[in-house]
Amino acid sequence: MSTAALSLTPRQRRAFGLLVASEIKIAIRRPVGLIVAVGIPFALLVIFGSIPATTRPLQALGGISFFNLYVPTLLVFVMIALGLMTLPQQLSAYRRQGVLRRMSTTPVPPSWVLVAQTTVAATLAVIGVTILLGAGAGAYGLALPHDAGGYLVSLVALVLTGAATLGLGLFVAAVAGSPQIAQALTALLFYPLAFFSGLYVPLQEIHSQVIQDIAKALPTGAGFNALHAAFSGQSPGVEPLLVLAAWAVGSWVLATRLFRWE
Amino acid sequence: MTTQELIQAEVWPSVSESSGRSAPEVIDVAHLRKEYGTTVAVDDVSFTVHAGEIFGILGRNGAGKTTTVECITGLRTADRGEISVLGLDPRRDRRELHERVGVQLQESAVPELMRVSEAVELYASFYREPADGPELIAALGLEDAKHTYFKHLSGGQKQRLSIVLALIGRPEIAVLDELTTGLDPEARRDTWRLIEGIRARGVAIVLVTHFMEEAERLCDRVALIDHGRVVALDRPDALAIAATTSKRVRFTPTEPLSDELLMALPEVSGVEHHGPEVVVAGSSDLVTAVVLALHRAGIHAEDVQTETANLEDAFLALTDETPHNTNGATR
Repeated sequence: MSTAALSLTPRQRRAFGLLVASEIKIAIRRPVGLIVAVGIPFALLVIFGSIPATTRPLQALGGISFFNLYVPTLLVFVMIALGLMTLPQQLSAYRRQGVLRRMSTTPVPPSWVLVAQTTVAATLAVIGVTILLGAGAGAYGLALPHDAGGYLVSLVALVLTGAATLGLGLFVAAVAGSPQIAQALTALLFYPLAFFSGLYVPLQEIHSQVIQDIAKALPTGAGFNALHAAFSGQSPGVEPLLVLAAWAVGSWVLATRLFRWE
Repeated sequence: MTTQELIQAEVWPSVSESSGRSAPEVIDVAHLRKEYGTTVAVDDVSFTVHAGEIFGILGRNGAGKTTTVECITGLRTADRGEISVLGLDPRRDRRELHERVGVQLQESAVPELMRVSEAVELYASFYREPADGPELIAALGLEDAKHTYFKHLSGGQKQRLSIVLALIGRPEIAVLDELTTGLDPEARRDTWRLIEGIRARGVAIVLVTHFMEEAERLCDRVALIDHGRVVALDRPDALAIAATTSKRVRFTPTEPLSDELLMALPEVSGVEHHGPEVVVAGSSDLVTAVVLALHRAGIHAEDVQTETANLEDAFLALTDETPHNTNGATR
């Protein structure tokens, strides 16, 4: 995959712009990404935010509310919904239908489709995250990061979580023999990864060192830990960010080596 | 205004008139070979295509047509052989090649939820000097479908969009793979007229097909490919004459007969024995000649059956009887 978006001629910029525009139109016409990355997390936010008990600080959770603990999980959810459950499926559908093959006979390489789709996914992620934070803070008293440093850490953690899960998703799309197997494999990855971001039950309530250690080593757990720390006004340290970076680099190296454009 | 006139009048700029034979070579393929694992997809293929020519690549499924085309258009790397397209190396100069060579491949598509006009606008933006998209859409009769999603197009409309996209970059060479497969006869004839219109502007066309009729109607020259080799390369009328005039007569003689008796006849090109049955191959007046010769020799022929090759048979005969009948086919 060559993401040769660095030194584009004006003509190439126009082609890339049109490619992004058409991917945006398609994302609106079949709003899978909008539903899983914006709709579902927002619905979960509204549901949990509307239950009075969840917004009360709890001793068992170290004095913060379940709601404040759950929003970082939802932020991670936005990233894995796009990286693992949306984008790889779109790309392998394009491969199956011959869209990538068609483009490989033009001066524009098919890898641009991935770059364009990633651009659209990033836009969806921004929308999803903004809605979660805006509605969370505006309507349900969500505690936001205290300073610019907290926001910066959050941003880095989210980008790396997205990159790592997208890399995993592309790796699966690369090795799976058929789109059906790819679908099954990504689901197989999605549920445990979502568990370790605390989607089903807060990991703080599971008093098991093993679970905590596994969570720290996984991109979703590390992403959650970094975000949770940043939202609580603490420093996450470099460990979760390094874990995320390692996953992102590793999965992309594998995916780019193995992915076939036809 | 007809499709052809539209193409000539508006969409295509005037390119210098060129006539097939003396025109410069735009594609030169020498001893191309491509294997997939232990399967030899293309064994040894050589041919040249001239500017302004419609060059046909004819062969059945699995003969190596598509692999040949994929090597020419830089989608695959040949294991052996030399390929030059517009003086470019298809792999090394891939980007530049794709600027100047329009390709329509099988099993290729645009996204399901992309409209015709959007696909054309997008693909036009990929090229240095694109043709006028809306005019090309009109020329191919897609005006009424320009706001339709790709997935809602009929087979024929998808095919025509595919042609639009192959031509949108104003190519010097258009490579069209199984262009009219799946089209109804009328749409096929429309497409043929369009191809001739494009050629009239000096664009060389490589047409991959398994329709003998299509090759006959459109192509200046045809390479017949079988088992990864060129078994015949000639003008289609020459190929068709060689093929259609060949006939076969089967009979069971009452007495053993010598091949020389039959081979001495000018009409006979070959004699085979299948048990008691004799099969004689040859040209037009075969039956009369054979029966008369047998009669003169005092041999009676029983169960006489004649087989007249049609185009389909000719195609099969040419590709089946490699390599020993190659000369007969190209003569």
